[in-house]
Amino acid sequence: MVSDTIQFLFNNKIFKIKNPDPNKTILNYIRNDLKMTGTKEGCAEGGCGACTIVLGELNKNKIVYKAINACISFLPILNGKQLILIEDLSNGKSLHPVQEAMIKFHGSQCGFCTPGFTMSLFSMHKNNKLINNEIVEEALSGNLCRCTGYRPIIDAAKSLNNKNDLDQFKKDKIKIIKLLKNIKSTDIEINNKGKKFFAPKTISNLKKILNKYPDAKILSGGTDLSLEVTKFRKEIKTIISLNSVEKLNFIKKNRNLLEIGATTSLFEFQNIIKNYFLDFHDILKRYGSLQIRNVGTVAGNIATASPIGDTLPLLLTLDAKIVVQGKNKKKTFSLSEFFISYRKTKLKKGEFIYSIKIPINKDNIFKAYKISKRFDDDISSVCGSFSFLIKKNKITKAAIAYGGMSAIPKRASAIEKKLVNSEFTENSFSNAIDLINKDFSPLDDMRASSEYRLAVAKNLLLKAFYEIKNKQTIRIN
Amino acid sequence: MRNEELLKGQSIPHDSASKHVSGFAQYTDDIAEPSNTLHGAIGWSEKAHARIKKIDLSDVEKSEGVISVATFKDIPGRNDVGPVFDGDPIFPKTKVEYFGQPLFAVAATTTEFARKAVLKAKITYSELKPIITIEEALKKNNLLFNPRIIKKGNPQNKINKSKNKLIGKFNTGSQEHFYLEGQVCLVIPQEDKNLQVYSSTQHPSETQQIIAKMLKQKSNSITVTVRRIGGGFGGKETNFMTAAICALLSHKTKQPIKLRLDRDDDIILTGKRHDFYSEYEVGFNDNGKIEGLKLKLASRCGMSPDLSYAINERALLHLDNAYYLSDLEVKNFLCKTNTSSSTAFRGFGGNQGMMAIENIIDNISRFLKKDPSDVRKENFYGQNENNITHYGMKINDNVIHDIFKSLLDKSNYKKRYNQIKNFNLKNKFKKKGIALTPVKFGISFTTIHLNQAGALVHIYTDGSVHLNHGGIEMGQGTHTKIAQLVANTFGLPFEKVQISSTNTSKVPNTSASAASSTTDLNGAATLNATEKIKTNLNNFIKKKYNILSKIEPVYRNENIYIGNRTFNFKKIIQEAYLNRISLSSSGFYSTPKINFDKQKFKGRPFYYFCYGAAVTEVTIDTLTGENKVDRVDIIHDAGNAINPALELGQIEGGFVQGQGWLTMEEVVWDKSGKLRTYSPSTYKIPAVTDTPDKFNVEIFKRGSNVENVVNKQKTTGEPPLMLAMSVFFAIKDAIASISNYTKIPELDAPATPEKILMSINKLKRKIKSNGK
Repeated sequence: MVSDTIQFLFNNKIFKIKNPDPNKTILNYIRNDLKMTGTKEGCAEGGCGACTIVLGELNKNKIVYKAINACISFLPILNGKQLILIEDLSNGKSLHPVQEAMIKFHGSQCGFCTPGFTMSLFSMHKNNKLINNEIVEEALSGNLCRCTGYRPIIDAAKSLNNKNDLDQFKKDKIKIIKLLKNIKSTDIEINNKGKKFFAPKTISNLKKILNKYPDAKILSGGTDLSLEVTKFRKEIKTIISLNSVEKLNFIKKNRNLLEIGATTSLFEFQNIIKNYFLDFHDILKRYGSLQIRNVGTVAGNIATASPIGDTLPLLLTLDAKIVVQGKNKKKTFSLSEFFISYRKTKLKKGEFIYSIKIPINKDNIFKAYKISKRFDDDISSVCGSFSFLIKKNKITKAAIAYGGMSAIPKRASAIEKKLVNSEFTENSFSNAIDLINKDFSPLDDMRASSEYRLAVAKNLLLKAFYEIKNKQTIRIN
Repeated sequence: MRNEELLKGQSIPHDSASKHVSGFAQYTDDIAEPSNTLHGAIGWSEKAHARIKKIDLSDVEKSEGVISVATFKDIPGRNDVGPVFDGDPIFPKTKVEYFGQPLFAVAATTTEFARKAVLKAKITYSELKPIITIEEALKKNNLLFNPRIIKKGNPQNKINKSKNKLIGKFNTGSQEHFYLEGQVCLVIPQEDKNLQVYSSTQHPSETQQIIAKMLKQKSNSITVTVRRIGGGFGGKETNFMTAAICALLSHKTKQPIKLRLDRDDDIILTGKRHDFYSEYEVGFNDNGKIEGLKLKLASRCGMSPDLSYAINERALLHLDNAYYLSDLEVKNFLCKTNTSSSTAFRGFGGNQGMMAIENIIDNISRFLKKDPSDVRKENFYGQNENNITHYGMKINDNVIHDIFKSLLDKSNYKKRYNQIKNFNLKNKFKKKGIALTPVKFGISFTTIHLNQAGALVHIYTDGSVHLNHGGIEMGQGTHTKIAQLVANTFGLPFEKVQISSTNTSKVPNTSASAASSTTDLNGAATLNATEKIKTNLNNFIKKKYNILSKIEPVYRNENIYIGNRTFNFKKIIQEAYLNRISLSSSGFYSTPKINFDKQKFKGRPFYYFCYGAAVTEVTIDTLTGENKVDRVDIIHDAGNAINPALELGQIEGGFVQGQGWLTMEEVVWDKSGKLRTYSPSTYKIPAVTDTPDKFNVEIFKRGSNVENVVNKQKTTGEPPLMLAMSVFFAIKDAIASISNYTKIPELDAPATPEKILMSINKLKRKIKSNGK
């Protein structure tokens, strides 16, 4: 079944929009059409959190509350979800506990960022009964405040620890779930004055649409794609969303391999990879913000092939494989051969990424570091990733990759070659690092100079050595 | 104000807090627009310095949804938004002077149409060589004003005679305001060519005048209304471009116009903080006491004067910070560059001047191998001697010694100073640093006539109070604090006082909400209004009830007490109305005692000084240059605070904003003058995890104000930003540990990971070459 109408829950009522403009952001819909002005635009690129809204999503009879950036989300993604805005938190009689906490701790000054913070706190409160520093920082690192210095907001957040979340959303839970279930799950095909949007449910339908529209833009999180509209003022004619394709949302684990489907969000991935490679998890926690990671995907990061995509050097050193669904059959590429040049990959028109396979070898020693001006929600000036096999103090395998050092994320093959089969000593590493000039000649830009990039890239390799040797991390954060 | 009338700090929430958290606080972009409203966008220069050969707007005009296009030809009056001096054309006619300079504007049926349309302009330029850096401008003598020289005593002679001498240079960087609410304006045409203007500005009166002059109309035809703004920090003190262009489009189309800059345009088009470069030569004794100082101070002012003269003046007035300088010479250069016009930003040049002297003191300490806090103390202004500033003002409210001592104790500084040295001996890749820095900041506009304010207070017959004053609510809580003063003086609960939008037709000729003076000035003007109403009421009661006693009536608990008689406030108001007594009054205030001769650089430019001090401990990673603020202890003087919770918010928020300025916020222009950092993805302000892990802020317990400021408070607007100087010098301390504190690190602000690692590497090379 195919529908040209999106349906979502708002104020406990089903809203239907026939053929909505697929280039319209949820933020513009809220502010201009619904005339609800509590949600603010701060940057239109998902970088400040002023537009944070919460989407309730049904997951096995449970509602998961996801904070997202309304400014870079297209309207059709509301389909099948519950839309929660800042104006909805109060039940009409009293403020919500998260609102009360913000007032009590003097968490607002100019107030412009406040609705966004409050929504982030709301989703944190709904999803976590116990609140600790880590949860607070993760929930709030995508919201910028220029007035308070954050201390009062952090205190407001911490005060929600163990606080009863009996609010109207909990009270109406059964009704809400029923309403959400009433929204029939169908393929979506939107046509708004020639602008098209497809959200197929099966791989075969996806393939058919892709065949018909090989130039269509593929959307998964859309955190990069939407900037075409919000920043570059372009029109995207045809968008194909992968998010409704059930078979692309999976995680398979066995002893030697982790495979994740293309629509696995960065947030879900972060919590899985934690069990295998802690540094990978720690870098992901600094990847964008929770709002971004709630929708962004690893597959999206790979497909955009940005030289500063933070998962890429890490996946490179882990010898990850990319499974691409071709017109007829699946093809598997090693990640290092997948990137061709700046933002270009081997993905052909009509193809899409099906999954990512990460080999698991328990003997692998894995280290990863991200260097940026700001610790959270910043783009790397350099991201370094290192994976070693060491037997009897001899390096039997060295996989080293950097982001931010060249037009594509790349392995440091000269250094790797020098290190393999040498002793695991400071001397070996000191001798090897100078080969960085052979592997990379980075650019000067607003994030860092070439000189710094080279210097820090070398030092990161040394850092990895010292950490492994001393069995102790050297981190200040 | 009599002492018994002072309000003992009441930490009530910001008056709009419940609206902030529920999305009902209205900002300019949230105002319901009339149905015929058009939306604007600005087309701007892609070149930093060029002659305009041709502007072809034919495709713009044809673009979907476009109703009107405005250029300089549509401006009937003054084509300039410069607040003091000319130099900021709304649309230049022949030459562009910075990347992002507005050239034309569009009105269309939607914002999206307008923004798409402006990209279709075809502009041909003949490029000129741009001057981007201070260095280039100094080399080419490209200055906005003649260099300003101030001199006291004979510094060269003193330096020559000093036992120790240092020379050096130092840079502090620019900073983007990054108010969360960008520049936005809504103009609605009224009868008789009048315009109703809603603008996100710190300065409604100047907005009014600039629009009036642009349209060749009288000021009385323009009304500017501001309920609140989503942050200003100086970025909305001038920057009148958005409002002017919005009004121009409305004038041309005769329709309401909304003009909201998107974030990129906002950062590209508007001015930022001045970068400063300094060179110094200093002579000092073995205790580190400065005996003579020669300083060259140059700033990047951008393409026009804007407020640069006053900002540089404040730098000159603050390069002493809390230190007595007996012999001093400063040469000040205001560099003209092809960048957006540098403008006001919290601290207003004061902070840049203070960083220059703090860097010198820090280097003196490292040269002498002394604890920098000891050298700082050695140089402090005295209580009874050495208490005249280099501009001839006697300091009679110095509490820095008291704050300094209290902070040393509270933060356990001396013990931690030694613990950190031990930590650094044991750790190779992680190094800790600590620094204690003081703040002394002068309060008043240094342009004397700006130190005035007005207010308007009504009491309605039901006893409710309507409050209006010239100050802008930008998050600092000025409306809350002034309403608290009004409630206090009438003896009413806070809820009985209705705060209203700042409006040029209610209170005219206001000064900008700036210079940390908003509550001081407008609060005093408001109390002047309430006193007049109270005088009317008191006279009425005494006459009506035949009370001969000279006892001052006391307003408390919604009653008025005179001797042993009690009158209900609400009832008296009704009676007064029936007896035809005025229940409304305007109020006015002008700051007493201040004067300043700009030519001689002499006088008393400040009504009083604010003081504070901070101790910061940091850790740096010597392999990467990454840094982390571990602990901050602050004591800051807020006088007799009206609302300690709001003051605490200013102190913490100011500190973190200063921390951003000095550590991570980096404004980058490339060689051609293109701004490369114009969005949150490229320009980084502190995020939640940058807040210090331990953040102990205390409002100075013995705080008061020797001057007769409202409630004997001291403002906390700008001064706390400078407490963050301690972050920078703690980082420098950590770097110095690499040489076992034997060498002076070279470090400029902002201390980004890159600057820190480069400083470390330079220091290592110095040690190596010394060893040979």
